[in-house]
Amino acid sequence: MIALNVNGVVHEVNVSSNDTPLLWVLRDILGMTGTKYGCGIEVCGACTVLIDGEPERCCQVGVGEAQGRMITTVEGLSADGKSHPLQQAWIQLQVPQCGYCQSGMLMCAAALLQNNPQPADSDIDEISNVCVCGTYQRIRAAIKLAATL
Amino acid sequence: MSIEMTEEAVPVGQPTGVTRRQFIVTGTSGFMLQFCLPGVSRAAAALGAPAPVKMNSYIVIHANSTATIYFGGCELGQGAMSGLAQLAAEELMLDWSQVVTQTVLPDSISYITGGSSAIRTNYLPVRQAGAAVRTMLIEAAAARWKVPVAQCTASNGEVTDTVSKRILSYGNLAAAAAKLSPPSKPFLVADAKLRLIGKSMPRLDLPDKVNGRAIYGIDVRVPNMLYAAVKHCPSLGGTLASTPGNPGGGVVAVVPLGNAVAMVAGTTWDAMSAFDEMEISWNIPASSKAIDSTVFSTEATTIMAQGPVVPAEVIGNAASAMAGAAKVHDATYSFPYLAHACMEVLNCTVSITAAGCEIWAPTQAAAWVQGTAAALTGLPLSKITVHTTLMGGGLGRKIEQDYIAQAVKVAMAVKAPVKLMWPREEDFGKDMYRPMVLSHVKAGLDAYHRVVAWENRIVSPSIQAQRGWISAGSEDGQSTEGATSLPYAMATRLVQYGAHPSPVPIGFWRSVGHSYNAFVVETFIDELAMIAGVDPYTYRRGLLINNERYLAVLDAAATLGDYTSPVPSGHARGIAIAEAFGTVVAEVVEIANATSTSVDVLTVACAVDCGRVINPDSVTAQMQGGIVHGLSAALWGHITFANGVASVSNFDNYRLVRMPEMPAVSVHLLPSTNPPTGAGEPGVPPLAPALANAYFKLTGQRVRSLPFFPTQSTMGDD
Repeated sequence: MIALNVNGVVHEVNVSSNDTPLLWVLRDILGMTGTKYGCGIEVCGACTVLIDGEPERCCQVGVGEAQGRMITTVEGLSADGKSHPLQQAWIQLQVPQCGYCQSGMLMCAAALLQNNPQPADSDIDEISNVCVCGTYQRIRAAIKLAATL
Repeated sequence: MSIEMTEEAVPVGQPTGVTRRQFIVTGTSGFMLQFCLPGVSRAAAALGAPAPVKMNSYIVIHANSTATIYFGGCELGQGAMSGLAQLAAEELMLDWSQVVTQTVLPDSISYITGGSSAIRTNYLPVRQAGAAVRTMLIEAAAARWKVPVAQCTASNGEVTDTVSKRILSYGNLAAAAAKLSPPSKPFLVADAKLRLIGKSMPRLDLPDKVNGRAIYGIDVRVPNMLYAAVKHCPSLGGTLASTPGNPGGGVVAVVPLGNAVAMVAGTTWDAMSAFDEMEISWNIPASSKAIDSTVFSTEATTIMAQGPVVPAEVIGNAASAMAGAAKVHDATYSFPYLAHACMEVLNCTVSITAAGCEIWAPTQAAAWVQGTAAALTGLPLSKITVHTTLMGGGLGRKIEQDYIAQAVKVAMAVKAPVKLMWPREEDFGKDMYRPMVLSHVKAGLDAYHRVVAWENRIVSPSIQAQRGWISAGSEDGQSTEGATSLPYAMATRLVQYGAHPSPVPIGFWRSVGHSYNAFVVETFIDELAMIAGVDPYTYRRGLLINNERYLAVLDAAATLGDYTSPVPSGHARGIAIAEAFGTVVAEVVEIANATSTSVDVLTVACAVDCGRVINPDSVTAQMQGGIVHGLSAALWGHITFANGVASVSNFDNYRLVRMPEMPAVSVHLLPSTNPPTGAGEPGVPPLAPALANAYFKLTGQRVRSLPFFPTQSTMGDD
């Protein structure tokens, strides 16, 4: 049994190995499917969650490593699913297209704003997640908008 | 409410007026109008099959006067469901807050989503359906009040008697309206009174896409579901030699799948990781080992030189005109195989019980899914239920049936509900790739640099021929789309197609043939402009004489992109224009810092004539997305084959534009009241040639083989 603190709630999970990536524990065992599988090799960023406030690509974070730490997923950005400044900005600027990468983008943006309330373009450029729909321009604008909300 | 299905054939494709048989109304406890949307089907068109003739879309009026609109298509991310809902809500006289959308009811027949068709083919049928419902509600109110219909108006879910000021809600009227016959010619809302069409209404699907609640195919969960991961033979054409034994570690079943094998376990991870240490024995025929990109290049070169080729477009005698030309110029272009790289990998969930087969799939072709499952299970279509989920991109790949068939087979084998998923490596390694292309173009100019002869020979595998939709070697309109019917003044033309049979599975990629033909035409026109000693924008204007539509788009892009303003030192601007799916798009690209391994793409100015715009912000988003798609492919996109194995396995060696490389894209939509044309794909074609034309100005180097920087196609996690 491993105890995971996800969005402030502690879950006891049974896994075949402590090396099981957090991504699949979140998705398949806890049923929190907002965090997405994209590449499995920590390149695309679709699986980004916050662990103790830092953005982590959880497709290669063993669940054992996440034990006892604060995990925040897109489901935990806000209680009502719409009131986080980033969520408001994302809707106001109609950022998502297919939306699949957006959970990871939002979590990266949340971490960025937490550490840097007024990010410059060069700071936003540090987000290296992939969006095949090409929503980067709107993501950039939405992060700047969220910084004012 | 009961859902009554009909097998009755209905007339489709009538641009004006509708017949009663186009609508079917039921109203056991409310109001539902069924109608048929044609969608688009290259397959159906190629096969000569009729457009779908079954009811595949519905408008339901609820007791609280809101409406649910069920569309037989899908939401790939393009905003189509919202756009269609806007059309329906406009005619229903509902506020935007009063409509929701869903994809088709489980037992209905769907249409295929592709070909930038969602709005352009469904625009009028959806408006007519909405207008029919509104008309019936008004008629029901007029009958209850015993007043003339013309005395009643509808708005925000209510019908008002304009004389007595009495009001009845749609919910109140629904049951009575359901007993009426649909009007044969519902009146559409006049242009001057449009409230929603042409406005950037917020998309209905986005709120759930910012909080993790949106359910994509890969997120589907069914009680007692198992998880399957697939591994294919690395070599194309290879098959499983023997089914591996169960490796343990949570694996509950190993299912052979012909050219692949599936591990089935209690979690995706247990299924995927079972492959890690496993030796799988494959039968790889000699023909697979011969699948090699150097062989492909040789074959294409031979076909280019020796044929056989078939004509795609013949106007006048190009050979004779070429012989008499003052100046002849030619160039050869090559394009690689490309992957779709949808963010959501292929997946499908299947549950087979005594009641039938239920499928949840990210699919652009739910009706085909139904057929695939029926063929494998032996069940009648009526026992196959397909739930079309949201898609993390489709891009043409999710029209295919390979992953669907695998999921059905595994569910049959393990006798339990299964969600089957392709690891990313399988998604890249077993894509249905954008075909490779070799293209040769030759132009003859007269003394005034007018084009007196234009010859273009395109050698490429045919998607349609590979699927048996057209006979092998015959002219393939998809391979030549964007190379024929050019807008430019050219006295004679000869466009030919040479079929290049390929063992590589190929499929529909955003803008299909336009994705490469526009590059050939638009960079070669630039070369002709240089020969003429005229700026390429000006040269194009000359060749577009009297073509008001193209000129307007070209000029708008030039204005938006400051094309004629002085260029900052070290910068250059390129321009290109192309028409795809009825939409004309011109783009001006401004670049700097061009080297042999990189270029900074600073801005892209995009002008669009896509007819009447339903949702400007959605069209703008599609252009932004198409430009990024085209840019990634132009800079780095390529897949080669050696020993039958694809060169790309994951995003680390299939580089895509990311935040730092994103140019500032501006989009100008030309006002129009013409019928809507495509939006999803037409942003792609002009990008690469506009970039190449700018790159030439800065470096003097002509790029005639894509991608620009094949050695720079790796992508790290930095």
